[in-house]
Amino acid sequence: MTRYVLRRLAWALFVVWAALSLVFVLVHGVGDPAAATLGPRAGAEQLREFRRKHGLDRPLLEQYARYVAGVVRGDLGTSFRDEQPVSRVIATRLPRTLLLGALALAFELVIGLGLGIFAALRRNTIWDTGTVALTFVGISAPTFVTGLVFLYVFAFLYGWFPVGGYGVDALDHLRHAILPAFTLAIFGAATYARLMRSEMVEVLGSDYVRTARAKGASRLRAALAHAARNAMLPVVVLVGLQLSTLVSGAIITEQIYAWPGMGRLAFEAISALDAPLVLGVVLVTAATVQAGNLLADIAIAALDPRVRMTG
Amino acid sequence: MCSIRRTDAGLAKRLRASLLLGALVGAGCPSPPQGPRWQGAGSPTPRRGGTLVFHHESDVRGFDPHTSFDELSNMGIKLLFEGLLDYDADGHLVPRLAEAMPEVSDDGLTYTFRLREGIRFASGRPVTAEDVRWSLERMLHPRVGSPGLTFYTNLEGLDAYRDGRAQHIAGIRVIDERTVAFRLRAPDQTFLYAMAMTFANVVPRENVERWGAEVARHPVGTGPYVLESWEPGVRVVFRRNEHYWRPGRPYPDRQIFELNLSREPAFLRFLNGELDIIHRQSPADYLYLKRSPAWRPYWVQRPSIDLWGYAMNCELPPFDNVHVRRAVAHAIDRQRWARTRLYRIRPTGQPLPPGLLGYRPDLPHTQRFDLEIARREMALAGYTLRDPDGDGIPEPVLTVEMWIGEGPTGQVYGELVQSDLRRIGITVQLKPVSFPVYLRESGKPRTVQSLMTGWSQDFPDPADFLDILFHSRAIHDHDSENRAFYRNPELDALLDEARVERDRERRGRLYERAASIVARDAPWAFTFNSMKLDAWQPYVRDYRPHPVWDNYYAELWLDLPRRRIARQVGGGGTALAWLGWPWSLP
Repeated sequence: MTRYVLRRLAWALFVVWAALSLVFVLVHGVGDPAAATLGPRAGAEQLREFRRKHGLDRPLLEQYARYVAGVVRGDLGTSFRDEQPVSRVIATRLPRTLLLGALALAFELVIGLGLGIFAALRRNTIWDTGTVALTFVGISAPTFVTGLVFLYVFAFLYGWFPVGGYGVDALDHLRHAILPAFTLAIFGAATYARLMRSEMVEVLGSDYVRTARAKGASRLRAALAHAARNAMLPVVVLVGLQLSTLVSGAIITEQIYAWPGMGRLAFEAISALDAPLVLGVVLVTAATVQAGNLLADIAIAALDPRVRMTG
Repeated sequence: MCSIRRTDAGLAKRLRASLLLGALVGAGCPSPPQGPRWQGAGSPTPRRGGTLVFHHESDVRGFDPHTSFDELSNMGIKLLFEGLLDYDADGHLVPRLAEAMPEVSDDGLTYTFRLREGIRFASGRPVTAEDVRWSLERMLHPRVGSPGLTFYTNLEGLDAYRDGRAQHIAGIRVIDERTVAFRLRAPDQTFLYAMAMTFANVVPRENVERWGAEVARHPVGTGPYVLESWEPGVRVVFRRNEHYWRPGRPYPDRQIFELNLSREPAFLRFLNGELDIIHRQSPADYLYLKRSPAWRPYWVQRPSIDLWGYAMNCELPPFDNVHVRRAVAHAIDRQRWARTRLYRIRPTGQPLPPGLLGYRPDLPHTQRFDLEIARREMALAGYTLRDPDGDGIPEPVLTVEMWIGEGPTGQVYGELVQSDLRRIGITVQLKPVSFPVYLRESGKPRTVQSLMTGWSQDFPDPADFLDILFHSRAIHDHDSENRAFYRNPELDALLDEARVERDRERRGRLYERAASIVARDAPWAFTFNSMKLDAWQPYVRDYRPHPVWDNYYAELWLDLPRRRIARQVGGGGTALAWLGWPWSLP
C-alpha cells in the first residue's frame, strides 16, 4: 500500500511538472505579457522596462529555470497585473471557490444519489421515466441559461437569494453561495443520478440483495444498507475525478453570479496573459486533480474489500 | 383498446395537472418592475450623507496614480488623489491643487504653479511644492516604469535624471513652499493636459516609502475620499476624507465600488436599487432602458471621445495603393453598422472625435459610404470589377486578411467589414487573435495586413489622436502606435507645427488640415465613435457624465432618505412570458 501510494505520488509530481512546463511554454509563446499588461498606450520604453523588471527579456530557458527554482522554494512569482505575490492572490480566491465547490458537491450528492436510488427503486414506472427525463434536462441545460434564469426568478423576482456577489461575513457568504452552487450542481447531480440509478438497478438484482431480502431485510434497508454501498463505487471514482473542479472553479457560474473565485481568476489571468498567475492556477489545479485521483483510488479500496492495492 | 384509452385519459389528466401547476406558479410570480423601485425624498438643495454604490465588471489592480492607468483603477484614483490641474464639468482645464492656472513664460517653456493654501493629505500633513516635485520624479523614475512617461518627455533634464546622471529633474524647480516651476525643452501645447492626468497626481513621500511595492493597496492622497477597506475581487469602500479642502464636499459619506460584477446581475441589482449608477449594459438591458418611459429621466447617452476604424497597413499590398484604401473607406456603410449595433455607436468618417479642437462636421475629404466612388477608386487602382449575375456583388479581385480581437464584438465588426468589402470585390479573411497577440504583432512593421482598431483619449486634445495614430514618429521596429504604418512628411510637419502653436484658433485650423489629409489618404477607414449610456436611480442627483473622466462620481449627491415605490404583485404572466414560457401567455 505504501509503495503504491509513493509511486502514485511520484507520478502525480511528474504530471504536475509536465502540465506546468507545457503551460509555461504556451503562455510565454502566444503573446507579449508586457503589452497585455500595460495596454496599447504603453510606449516602447515602458514595455522594455516592464520586460526587464519581470525578467521577460531573458532567454526562455533561463526564465523557465528561474520559475521552477522559485516553485521548488515555494515562490510562485508575482502577478504582472496585480503586482502581488501569486500565492497571496490564490490564497484569497481559493477558499471562496472551495466554499462554492463544496456546497455544489453536497447538492450534487444529495440530489443526485437521492434521485438515482429513487428511480432505481421505482424502476419502469412513470416516476423512473420522469426522473430520467429530468436528468436529461439537467445534463443538457447550459449553465449560462439556468444560471441567468435562476438569478432572475429566485433572486430578482422572488428575492429569496441575493442577486449575485459574495456578501460581507461568513453567513452572508454562505447565503450568496446557495444559488450559484445549486446552478453548478445541476449537471453533476444529473450525472450522479443516472450513474447511481444504473448501478442500483444492477445491484438490486444480485443474489446477495435477494438473500438479504430473504433474511427479512426491508426493501428500503436492502437498498440502502446493502445495495447502495456497492453501487457507490463508480460514484466515488467520479467524485474523485471531479474534485479538481472544486478548485479550478466554474468560470461561467462565477461570472454570472459575480462570485470572485478561482474560475474567474483563471479567466482574468489568461485574458491578461498574466503568466505567473496562469501558472499558479495551473499548478493548484493540476495538483488537485492528482490528489483527487489518488483519494478516489484509496476510497475505492476502503469501500470494496475485494480491491487491494499492490505495489 | 381499453388500456390505450386508460393511458390517454392518464396522459390528459397529467397534462391538465401540469398546466394547472404552471398556471399557479405563473400567477404567484411577481412581475418585473416597470420603472425605478426607489425615489428620492425631494430635497431641493444638495445634502451630505449616504452611500453611493457603483460597480465594474473586473477586478481593480491598485490605486497608485503613477502606475495604474486603466479605466477601473482611475475610477478609484479620481476619488483618492488630485493634481495641480483638472477638468471642469464641461471638459475645460481648471486649477485643482493649484490656486490658479499657471503663469507661462513668453517663450512658452516655463510654467509656474502656485499651490492653494491649506491643502492637506488625508494623513493630515500639509502639501508642499516639494511634494509636487517628488511625486513627478517618482513617476518618471525608471524603477517605477510608469506608462505615463511618454507624456512628460519634453521636461528639461529628464534624460539625465533617468540615466542616473542627475539626482533631480532640472526642469522641475521648487521656488518656495507653495511654488513650483516646470521648464520644457520645446514649447508644447499638450503639457497642461499632461499635468491634469492622474500621472501628475501628488502623493506623500512617507507613505510611498512606508509601503514600497504595496503602496497601490495603501493609497493616501488629497482627494475627496480615503480608502476604508478593500476586499480583493469583491469590493472597495471609500470614506469621506475629513481633511478635504473643498468646503462641504464631497456629498456622499461613502462610495462602495462593487468589483467583478458582470452586466446581467449588475443590471438586476440596479433595478432592485442595490446599485445607484450603471454605465454598461447588455444589449437587451440597454433596449429596456431606452424604451422604458419610467426610466427616461434617469439616463443619458453620449458619444465617448474615442475613434474606431479599419486600419490598413500602408506598407503592405494592396493597401500600399491609396486608391484601394480610399475604395475601402467609401465602401463602409457606416449607417448600417450603427443599425446593427442598436445605435450604440455614432458613425464617423474622419480621424477626430466630435468635441475636439480641429473637428469639423463638414471636413473636406470626410469618408462617406458611396459605392460609386468606391468602385471608381478600385478601377483607378487597376482592378476591373465584373458582376455577371447583376446581384451587386462583383467577382472577387482581391483577398485580404483582417485581424480582429477575440470575442463576439470583434467578430461582429469583422463580418460587417467582410460584407461591405464584398461589394467592391474584396474578400476579407478574418483572423481572430487574443489581445496580447494582437498588440504585439500589429505593432511590428510589415506584419499585419489590416485590423479593426481604436483609440480613446488620454486628454481632450487632437494631438492625442493624430500624433499617436498617424505621425511617422509613432512607427518603431516593435510596439508602433501607428498601426497603419502611414507616413506623410506633409502631415508630420503640420502636426509638429500644431503641437507648439499657442494661438488656439490657428492651432485648430492646423488640425483641421491635418485631419483632412488623413481622411483623404485613408490609412484607416474611419467607422464610428462609441456611445455610452449612463443610468442612475432617481435619488441620485446632479449626476452628469464627465466629458473626460469615465464614471466620475465625486460631484453628485444623494436625495435621502429614499422611498420605495409600491411594487406590483401578481401578473406573473409578464415575468414568465419574459422567460419565454408559452403556457404562461394569455
